[in-house]
Amino acid sequence: MGLSELLGTYGQNYLDGLLTTWGMTAVSFVFVMALAVLVTVMRVSPLAPLRAAGDLYVQVFRNIPGVALLIIIAYALPSLRVVLEWRTCVIVTTILLGSAFGSENFMSGINTISVGQIEAARSLGLTFGQILRRVVIPQALRTTVLPMTNLLIAVMLTTALGSQVPLDPQELTGVVSYVNTRSTGGILAFLISALGYALTAFVISFVGNRVDRRVRILR
Amino acid sequence: MSQRTTEGSRSGETPVIELRHVEKHFGDLHVLRDVSLSVHRGEVVVVIGPSGSGKSTMCRAINRLETIDSGEILIEGEPLPQEGRELARMRAELGMVFQQFNLFSHMSVLDNVTLGPRDVLGLSREEAESRAMELLARVGVAEQAHKVPAQLSGGQQQRAAIARSLAMRPKAMMFDEPTSALDPEMINEVLDVMVELARGGMTMVVVTHEMSFARRVADRVVFMADGQIMEEGAPDAFFDHPRTQRARDFLDSIRGH
Repeated sequence: MGLSELLGTYGQNYLDGLLTTWGMTAVSFVFVMALAVLVTVMRVSPLAPLRAAGDLYVQVFRNIPGVALLIIIAYALPSLRVVLEWRTCVIVTTILLGSAFGSENFMSGINTISVGQIEAARSLGLTFGQILRRVVIPQALRTTVLPMTNLLIAVMLTTALGSQVPLDPQELTGVVSYVNTRSTGGILAFLISALGYALTAFVISFVGNRVDRRVRILR
Repeated sequence: MSQRTTEGSRSGETPVIELRHVEKHFGDLHVLRDVSLSVHRGEVVVVIGPSGSGKSTMCRAINRLETIDSGEILIEGEPLPQEGRELARMRAELGMVFQQFNLFSHMSVLDNVTLGPRDVLGLSREEAESRAMELLARVGVAEQAHKVPAQLSGGQQQRAAIARSLAMRPKAMMFDEPTSALDPEMINEVLDVMVELARGGMTMVVVTHEMSFARRVADRVVFMADGQIMEEGAPDAFFDHPRTQRARDFLDSIRGH
């Protein structure tokens, strides 16, 4: 099958696939960032059990293959009477994996903040929560724009796990399987999806660079 | 002993800062040995001594940036709280100026100075900013208010840091080697601000190596070595007639060239 024939027959599937990938990526990334902040706050908190829980979370979800986690969530959880929609399964998997890496990014951002600034904040009478909100988190966010841009791309690629479960509509990678089980799209069927990922990633990193330049902290 | 006369003349008044028999170890190192010190309202106490003598640790212990093993630290007669909101509230009443300035690098100078008043004292943005601009003008960095710290010289950053502490209207100010990280030509601009403050009646504890400042401004000089207060007294008496051998050695070593 040639390119025009593929697009003529499956164009709508590819378009739906791209939109589904974008949608799942956007939803996942919002939760990835929120959860990454939460886990990181636990990891720097004064309470040892919270710190341990945060560290454990990162160790677990940073070191588990995405497919394994998806299988657990999609096929093992129902045995515990937790049945999620397929799409939700993929998004939850992506969030758990991504937030572990996001927290690592934040930790490296926090490590760029001098202890002296924290002492200065304490001396002003700011509480732990205020120091996090006003000094630590803003600096951690602003110094990690580029790693977080990479994470956003990784999150998008992780949503390709959706090809392993029956999504409707399918995301970009699932569309390729769909096409190739019906026609002989071969490598071309892959390349169309790959182009969708690559162009999106290009836009993400372009925007990420611009944002980084705007918010980077002068030291 | 001039210490006795200072304390004697103010026996009825509660000191702003009081340390009683404070002890602290860093592992095997005994950094504070039975340190007792009273600082009264409006008094400028300059702490000097060789490096490693415990003077910075003592200064930092006053607002509990360093914990202590035993002894007591009282602020206006109240024991320093261990942690939590009470500690934060007490810290808000004590200014602290650091060797490395420690301005918040992601904020403008103005925001550095308004952060405490807004978030801790609950001032409105307008009130906090007008207070901040007044203070920044007083320390001579009003033109830099909208820049970020990295755009300022060391001397300007330190003056902004002093303004940040003053914006809290503290009961006392601690200075932990405020000029040690500065290029020589910037030291005086910071010391001038501190002299102004002292003349204005601020209660101050200053850890420094600037002996001329100590002589000119201090009401009392405290000499520390090996974690102990070896002697204290009026600056002229101390510099001209140190009583301990350690103090004589120290003064000789810094006058040696």
